[in-house]
Amino acid sequence: MVEFQRYKLSNGLTVILHQDKTTPMVVVNTLYDVGARDESEQKTGFAHLFEHLMFGGSINILDFDKELQKAGGESNAFTSNDITNYYEIIPAQNIETALWLESDRMLSLAFTEKSLEVQRNVVIEEFKQRYLNQPYGDVWLELRPLAYEKHPYKWATIGKDLSHIENATMSDVKSFFKKHYHPSNAILCVSGNYDNSKIRKQIETYFGGIPGGLKPARINPQEPKQEAFKIKSINRDVPANAFYYAFNMGPRKSSDYYLGDIMSDAVGKDNSSVLNISLKKELELVTEINAFITGSLDDGLFVISGKLAEGVSFEQLDDQLWRILNEIKESGIYAEKLIGIKNKISTSKAFQEQGLLNRSINLSFFELLGDANGINEDALIYQKIESIDLISFAKNTFVKTNCSLLKVCNNAK
Amino acid sequence: MLNRNTAPTTQKIEKISFVKPQELCINESVKLLWMQDVPNETSRIDLYFDAGLRKDRNAIVSICSSLLLSGTKQRSSTEIHNQIDQLGAYFDIGLSHEGVLISIFALKNNIFEAFCLIYDSIQDAIFPDKEIAEKITEKRERFKINSAKVGFTAQRKFQEKIFFNTPYDELVQISDFDTISKKEIVDFHDEWIKNGLYKIAVVGNLDSEEIIKITERCKPSCISSPMTYFKSFCNAPGVFHEEKKSAVQSALRIGKTMFNKTHDDFFDFSILNTVLGDYFGSRLMKNIREDKGYTYGIGSTLAETGGSGYFIIGSEVGTEHREASLNEIKKEIELLNTQFIDKSEMELVKNYLLGQMLKSADGPYAMMDLFLSVDAYSLDMEFYNRYIERIHQIQTEELKSISKKYLQWDSLSIVSAG
Repeated sequence: MVEFQRYKLSNGLTVILHQDKTTPMVVVNTLYDVGARDESEQKTGFAHLFEHLMFGGSINILDFDKELQKAGGESNAFTSNDITNYYEIIPAQNIETALWLESDRMLSLAFTEKSLEVQRNVVIEEFKQRYLNQPYGDVWLELRPLAYEKHPYKWATIGKDLSHIENATMSDVKSFFKKHYHPSNAILCVSGNYDNSKIRKQIETYFGGIPGGLKPARINPQEPKQEAFKIKSINRDVPANAFYYAFNMGPRKSSDYYLGDIMSDAVGKDNSSVLNISLKKELELVTEINAFITGSLDDGLFVISGKLAEGVSFEQLDDQLWRILNEIKESGIYAEKLIGIKNKISTSKAFQEQGLLNRSINLSFFELLGDANGINEDALIYQKIESIDLISFAKNTFVKTNCSLLKVCNNAK
Repeated sequence: MLNRNTAPTTQKIEKISFVKPQELCINESVKLLWMQDVPNETSRIDLYFDAGLRKDRNAIVSICSSLLLSGTKQRSSTEIHNQIDQLGAYFDIGLSHEGVLISIFALKNNIFEAFCLIYDSIQDAIFPDKEIAEKITEKRERFKINSAKVGFTAQRKFQEKIFFNTPYDELVQISDFDTISKKEIVDFHDEWIKNGLYKIAVVGNLDSEEIIKITERCKPSCISSPMTYFKSFCNAPGVFHEEKKSAVQSALRIGKTMFNKTHDDFFDFSILNTVLGDYFGSRLMKNIREDKGYTYGIGSTLAETGGSGYFIIGSEVGTEHREASLNEIKKEIELLNTQFIDKSEMELVKNYLLGQMLKSADGPYAMMDLFLSVDAYSLDMEFYNRYIERIHQIQTEELKSISKKYLQWDSLSIVSAG
């Protein structure tokens, strides 16, 4: 059980406190309700570029990292299609430094031309490193626009094109900040070994004076229901042919998320999963195969991906894959398997909750979903899932007209 | 009224209390370490085998370690994995030059059973032909994918230069997977897994009887004389480039032979390494990423081997920035050799290191890992107290002289690919 307290400052900032007296550290985690789905199609990659700029100095503080490191702390951040999350981990006695730094950049950034210019270049190098300079690196740049036609999930957080990042201007940056970076669009979670008698006052001191703003309305285009199977082939200089089957499924806050999570473990998480046993071990059609869900806040994807063994055709794989998926639609996952998966989920939850940073990020994320207490409730949701629920998930999801297939073909073949 | 221009006052970390695990001797060379005090249900068992890459041809060693749970006379691979799942357990197999580390993660009520299952499966592994063939195919495919990455190419070249002319410098080739026989794998397993267990580490609130049972079960596979390591490394200095026309980034790997925790200069060089490249605000990050924007990341590390160690700088930079990046790296190293680090940077690095030290001692798992990382060199927790003391005391002159002593540009192996 993760204990916490929750309240709101008058400027709209949601605060979550989670005390842990066993650690010498504190974590200050700040989640902003903004991600790549909030970008305009002409200016993609912005939420992520902005995350970089958040380390480029704020209105009263020249060098964010330097001040934090001086106090023995460290920090990092990540951006997804849904959220942008920042954290500082710092010795408990220096908690004020983290509050000072995080609140000042919520108040306002320094907005220097130098920072923008450098971070544009850094992000371009990140784009190259992750997406361009390795085999299969650009798969998600291709798969997203195949699976999503209208919804902003059709572009990756890094952006749809390098030029969008290259052309980002200071006025774009400022208006993005104004719209998304203010107390009412943020969740602050302070956890660890803070002083209970002082913490609320400390938070009020640093964050209380930041002017509130209007939480921006999110009106994203709905993805229309898919009516027909979609398929795309791309040719790349890759060692082996690869396939990515993406099935539409429900959002994070639906039962689909939990069913999809268990189903993906069952069919493609590790050596003992259904697809690994049948397609890799028994039939030797693939050299690797995985299944996972995107877990996004709006409608997500259930993805089955892998690489074909030499001499195996996409059609052979397709036949056998659908045969197995159809079997699952009929008979589900056998009982013993389901118990094993649930047991593994319990173990991994216990390990996740061990870490203070994980707890802080999860509390913030569940609060964004509606209630931080979700952190204590979601284990039970997994445990209650039965085979019949999985069958109905499979019947709804593993349908050809609900599927987009991306094939990455070796140039030479 | 809050003055946002002034940083809040901070407190220095003076002392950290380190907790040693309990030690149970299995024989004169092998012990079980146990960190019992865990405030939740989680637990971990680590099994260390002297079956690292240095012991045989890389292909044999890597196939053997990745097939340790691939089946016994009694159980198939799938049966083993299904049983592990039933216990809600996870495992991880790590292979390095020095050894194989098998980590088992589970809730404490299941960990003993998971240990028995995994330990027995490893000891009784029979390496079915089909499993070997499947693994070879998988490794071959993985190798092809990795070969397309500049980081992999540079790392291999670097390994060749850093471990020059030693048992550590073998590079696996794709054709190696065609020539290994089952007998070689089985023989390797007999020699180094069945008789190669050299350490056990347990974190978790298990019953004492379970701990005793673990030691008893492991006894037959324990090594009987202490581990020895190759010590005489000397890197091949020079500039080496592997061309890859289509690459949009070049990988850089720069370094030289250094030492491990047993060396007198370890503390000073570690602190110097932090200044240069081991944190977000390091000289290399500040210059090459945060000022020039040539890369997404650059860092340096002091990596250790059982009998030695090496220093390495690594980065992936835009191909058009390769020469400029190398020049800037050289410049940063020369600055450390010739200029004093100023007071405020000294303060910052000291505070940062102390903060990291505090974090790395947070909780039973972190504490066990701290202990394992000194125990590997027959040192104990006192090492960290000495390190903290050294961080407090070290002067800028001393860092300059340690830099001059070790970081001469001409002594480095400078590798790029892309």
